[in-house]
Amino acid sequence: MSTDPYRPRQPSQSSPARVPVDEDWTQLRTLLLAPEQTQLDELRDRLDNRSVEPRDVSRVLPEAFALRGGGDQQISAVLTPYVENGFITTVRKSPQAIVDAIAPIMGPAIRQAITRALQSMTEAFNHSLDESLSFRGFQWRLEAWRTGRPFAEVVLFHRLRYRVDQVFLIHRDTGLLLHHVAAEGVVVQDQHVLSGMLTAIQDYVRDSFGATQDQTLDQFQVGEWTVWVEQGSRAYLAGVIRGTPPASLRERFRDVLDRIHAEQAESLVSFEGDAAPFQTVQPHLEDCLQAHYESAQPRNALKLWILGGAVVLACFWWGWTAYQTHVRWTQFLVQLRTEPGIVVTNERSTWGKHHLEGLRDPLAKDPSSLINEAGLDESTVTASWSPFYALDPQLIRRRAQMMLKPPSTVQFRVDGDTLVVTGSASSEWGNETKRLASFVPGIAHYNDEGFVTVSIPDLLNRLNHAVIHFSSGSATIEPSERSAVNAVLGVLRDLGHAVSQSDQRVRVDILGWADQTGSAALNLNLSRRRAEAVLAALGGAHPRILTAVRTGTSAERIVTFRASLEASTKEPEPAQP
Amino acid sequence: MMQKKVCMLGGFAVGKTSLVRRFVTNVFSEHYQTTIGVTVEKKTVTVDHQDVMLMLWDLYGEDEFQHVRESYLRGSSGYILVIDGTRKATLDTARLLQQTVVRTVGPLPFVAIINKSDLRSEWEIDQPVIEQLREQGWPVFFGSAKLGQGVDELFAHLAAMLLSPAPPSRICP
Repeated sequence: MSTDPYRPRQPSQSSPARVPVDEDWTQLRTLLLAPEQTQLDELRDRLDNRSVEPRDVSRVLPEAFALRGGGDQQISAVLTPYVENGFITTVRKSPQAIVDAIAPIMGPAIRQAITRALQSMTEAFNHSLDESLSFRGFQWRLEAWRTGRPFAEVVLFHRLRYRVDQVFLIHRDTGLLLHHVAAEGVVVQDQHVLSGMLTAIQDYVRDSFGATQDQTLDQFQVGEWTVWVEQGSRAYLAGVIRGTPPASLRERFRDVLDRIHAEQAESLVSFEGDAAPFQTVQPHLEDCLQAHYESAQPRNALKLWILGGAVVLACFWWGWTAYQTHVRWTQFLVQLRTEPGIVVTNERSTWGKHHLEGLRDPLAKDPSSLINEAGLDESTVTASWSPFYALDPQLIRRRAQMMLKPPSTVQFRVDGDTLVVTGSASSEWGNETKRLASFVPGIAHYNDEGFVTVSIPDLLNRLNHAVIHFSSGSATIEPSERSAVNAVLGVLRDLGHAVSQSDQRVRVDILGWADQTGSAALNLNLSRRRAEAVLAALGGAHPRILTAVRTGTSAERIVTFRASLEASTKEPEPAQP
Repeated sequence: MMQKKVCMLGGFAVGKTSLVRRFVTNVFSEHYQTTIGVTVEKKTVTVDHQDVMLMLWDLYGEDEFQHVRESYLRGSSGYILVIDGTRKATLDTARLLQQTVVRTVGPLPFVAIINKSDLRSEWEIDQPVIEQLREQGWPVFFGSAKLGQGVDELFAHLAAMLLSPAPPSRICP
């Protein structure tokens, strides 16, 4: 049975007659109500099938987000983990897409940061260079050494006129921090708490002095820091400045604050504690991070030239001196290595000091004299010599002379390892030398083929027969008699050497004679003067020869000698005139 | 991160500072409180996965010699009233302070904490009074500076109140 409410009620009739009427009604209803019927069917379907269609959700989703998002933060809280996960997955899978997306933002920021760092570094380097040679620079270098800070930092600190260390943008009513920037290297306390305290201090000062809301604390100073406060209608800027800032900096603060108020007017009015919108003021605040350093003092060019010239001259002088010393040292080493009896085993030079090590024969030349001869400073040379016997012929000969003590009439020569002795000496000395020669280091054989022995009696005899002639009335030794005097001198020397091997000594009387001409007294005086002249010509006595002067008269104007041996224990008699 | 200015109010020596000091980031000495009447401290709490930084203005305790500087109340998003359970007079001070806040900056979300719950036997504030406060719409917490109790709940509740557009349902700890 139909439940259609719109169907008109008909009187009850026979069924054949009602069939055409029902069809008419159906057609009429279809004609009149077809659109509504379709809608009705759709509504019935939706009621029967209550599952949500994505198409329907997609229509209302943006609006739904907008409505809910404006009400509270729940949508953000719910979506945040999914967004984060999605972001992390994207970064892992396709980092290039993220790079492309953030490059336009990060690029300028990175460039700006690098430029700032480079500028700061260049400035520090320039200041360091300017001050590196000055006395002030020296003091600062000491300070850097003492405090352990880099020199460039100390220079910057001393040449700092002012620097804005930190800038705070603070909400005026709440005292909450909107944004904060700090210069590189500045130690920042908790900037949020600091913002609150800055606001509290201003309120305190204003209350304490009964100031109105428009009258504000614009500046206060602590030690080397000044805090500048620039008030705006909704927010204020607080700049922490080290040094003495110029008035123009205040204008910059003002400009920045005005710009922020203009750009962030809506955010400032509706501020409820979320400072995120104020991230964009970063460049403005960084504009306030100004620093100014004392420029380098213009120096007198002449002074600089003189200083530079002095440095160059000093370097040149030092270099030349070092070169000269090096040359002298090299020459000295060459000479030392050619010197008999010296062997250099090690040498080194460090910072103007020289050190030598080697072997040295005691008879070799003293190296100190060689150092002086080479023009080196003896105090700069230290040496360590070990003694040894050198086999150089001249050193063997000197060694033999020292050990064997030959008389002047004897000559030594070294031929290989043979000591060749020539000349004449007493037989005692000859025998002793022959025995001792082989004990001289470097001598293995002894050759005395050219050596003749002379006895003490022969020498005494030669002396006793020696005569020195004088002119008449003269006590002066004539040049022609000089050879005779020298001969006497040689005999005396040999005699002295000969008796030195024994326990005897020689007594020599020098006898002066005058002829018969003239008075006896005159002749006596003349003969004494002649003896004394010869004594003087013989020049001092040998340790084992005693000389005495005697006088007499004879047929000739001469001086003669009378020599004899006596025991050395006998005290010598003083010479008598 | 969301920031909110919150004032700590209470009578003289109710233990405000002691109550919160071990829970906050402290930079400035308490000395400032006696000098300029306030120290600012910081406490971060998390409400529904959202961090909130509470900037706590710990005001010098009001007494007959010193009154709270009303300028410090300006810009607050909420406040905490601290009462000493062993001194009933501090409850009267808290009422006066609450009226001062309403008069100065209008009705703001606030919570009250009755301190010294470790000395409950010595309390001068009895349960009927507390119930009366709650009926007046005061969210009342109990805390102990000595034991460090009740503070986290206090801050969490206040933070939730500050973030919520509508007043939260009353919580009876």
